[in-house]
Amino acid sequence: MNLIQILFWLLSGLAIVSALMVLISKNPVHSVLWLIVVFFAISGHYILLNAQFLAIVNLIVYAGAIMVLFLFVIMLMNLGKESDPQKNVWIKLAGAISGGSLLIVLVSLVKQASEINDKEALLGNGNIGLIGTLGKVLFTDFVVPFEISSVLFLSAMVGAVVIGKK
Amino acid sequence: MNTIIVSALLGVVMMFSGIFTANKTAIRNVAIVALLVLLGVNIAATYGCCNLNIDVKNMLEFSKFGMFFNSIAIFSTLMYLVLSGSDIVKVGDNAAEYFAIIFFVLCGVSVLSAYNSLLMLFLGVEIMTIPLYILTGSDKKNLKSNEASLKYFLMGSFSTGIMLMGIALMYGVNGNFGIAFDVPAAGSPLQNYGILLPLGLLFIFVSMAFKVSAAPFHFWTPDVYDGAPSVFTSFMATIVKAAGFIAFIKLFETHYFQLQASWKMILPLVIIATLFIGNITAVFQQSVKRMLAYSSIAQAGFMLFALYSNNSFSKEGILLYSAAYSLATIGVFAILIKMKDYTFEGYNGLAKTQPVLAAANTIFLLSLAGIPLTAGFFAKYYMLTSVLQSHNGFIMVIIAVLFAAVSVYYYFRVIQSMYFKQGDAETSAISSGFKYGLIFLAALIILLGIMPNVLLQYLYF
Repeated sequence: MNLIQILFWLLSGLAIVSALMVLISKNPVHSVLWLIVVFFAISGHYILLNAQFLAIVNLIVYAGAIMVLFLFVIMLMNLGKESDPQKNVWIKLAGAISGGSLLIVLVSLVKQASEINDKEALLGNGNIGLIGTLGKVLFTDFVVPFEISSVLFLSAMVGAVVIGKK
Repeated sequence: MNTIIVSALLGVVMMFSGIFTANKTAIRNVAIVALLVLLGVNIAATYGCCNLNIDVKNMLEFSKFGMFFNSIAIFSTLMYLVLSGSDIVKVGDNAAEYFAIIFFVLCGVSVLSAYNSLLMLFLGVEIMTIPLYILTGSDKKNLKSNEASLKYFLMGSFSTGIMLMGIALMYGVNGNFGIAFDVPAAGSPLQNYGILLPLGLLFIFVSMAFKVSAAPFHFWTPDVYDGAPSVFTSFMATIVKAAGFIAFIKLFETHYFQLQASWKMILPLVIIATLFIGNITAVFQQSVKRMLAYSSIAQAGFMLFALYSNNSFSKEGILLYSAAYSLATIGVFAILIKMKDYTFEGYNGLAKTQPVLAAANTIFLLSLAGIPLTAGFFAKYYMLTSVLQSHNGFIMVIIAVLFAAVSVYYYFRVIQSMYFKQGDAETSAISSGFKYGLIFLAALIILLGIMPNVLLQYLYF
């Protein structure tokens, strides 16, 4: 068992445990905080797969922006105190069945996909997910959309100022 | 390329003009001059003059058709600023930013008229719509404006998500963002995924239909057009909508024949539903502004015929239609903004108090209804003829003519109020420059109605 494998099992365990904690916690704010831990664990997996860019973007977008949004919604709806979970047993049953069906579909998909059977993921090699590779593509092949998207961001910023100013 | 760059730069210039002067009339005049510059740049670029040599990696393709549409859009914006510019600065304190945003929208329009890759389509649509969310909500103290802005933002983001899903599906089969693709050949590993192409295109179709407010994706239109400040409704309903159609056509002329079987039923159904909902609902409106919102849905139904027939005649037709529709709607809105009361009763007796406004409004409404000797007649004529040419679609044409007859009812209600009803329509102060602008616009519409070739000949030389 080399270091990468140890890390893999550690991160997987962390991801599963914290994902369970998201569901188990009674307090919605704690759920959100555990969800952030899940995202960090998944980002760790991305780094093991040599996909730095995905790892960083996952942290910035999910753990950063979207989680802050979640917290705001929870605060605004005043769900901070422990709220009773839904009591209706039928809704719970329906949720369990639909979630379980999705699990079956995913598992059978992985089992059937002949392309990925008996293959290991590229751990620590391969350069497709590196930021340098992405930057090269972005500044050569996709430089026109890259530059034009600056107009989009500029107009969005102008809009934020127009809407936000008194 | 020049148009895209210059319009973005002029947007920045407009943004900074707010720092140097607080005089809003001066800012408006700067915007008009900037638009003239942009129009000049675009016309020069159309004839290959002074083009910047930028390698666009085949993501943009500058055709005569697209450049000519840019000219029409910029000219319409110019007329819009001349007529309604003084009302834009009244909306709030951020006059310079509003003009900057209008230039950014024009940048999006010029991307959409030239895109050759789904990535640019997405960027163009976003550059065009995100500023609109802001313009819709620019009247911050008005609750209706806020509501419209939020609604538009949420539904618009949702439709953008659908478009991204479609683009992702098409990328999955294609391996690149190009809009031209081949259906996977038999034996290739992708042949089982060929279904993803029509599916992806369907998603993009839904999203674009939302942007041009075709039924059944039109639900946002009346609320947003009604809630937004009237000046900005005028802009949204004309230039932006026409640009949506240009993007739509580009996508479909590439794919139409490959996927014709898949589209044969969807498009006619959408067209008929759009014509039906737009026209029938417009009949029951009490407010002229809301009536115009529904009429813009109905006009979108007519413009969709260009997608359906998809031949050279329809391409000429959509240019004429977007010019005729944009100019007439800008005129109608320019007068609407000056009215104190937006209901039909508010127009009672306008012919006595403001004869020039009433006469010009009559010409604009006649053009929207498609009465001969106005530009709207030839616009509709081109659309319907193109359907007959490529599909022999007699039933479609008959349905369209019937709905055009329905539209005459609600357009003429305004004329009836102005000329045949007693009352004194109140308007805000009308400058003589505004009247001359209206007269010029009305003359232009009649000129296009008598000789549509005045416009269309530029497509060929």
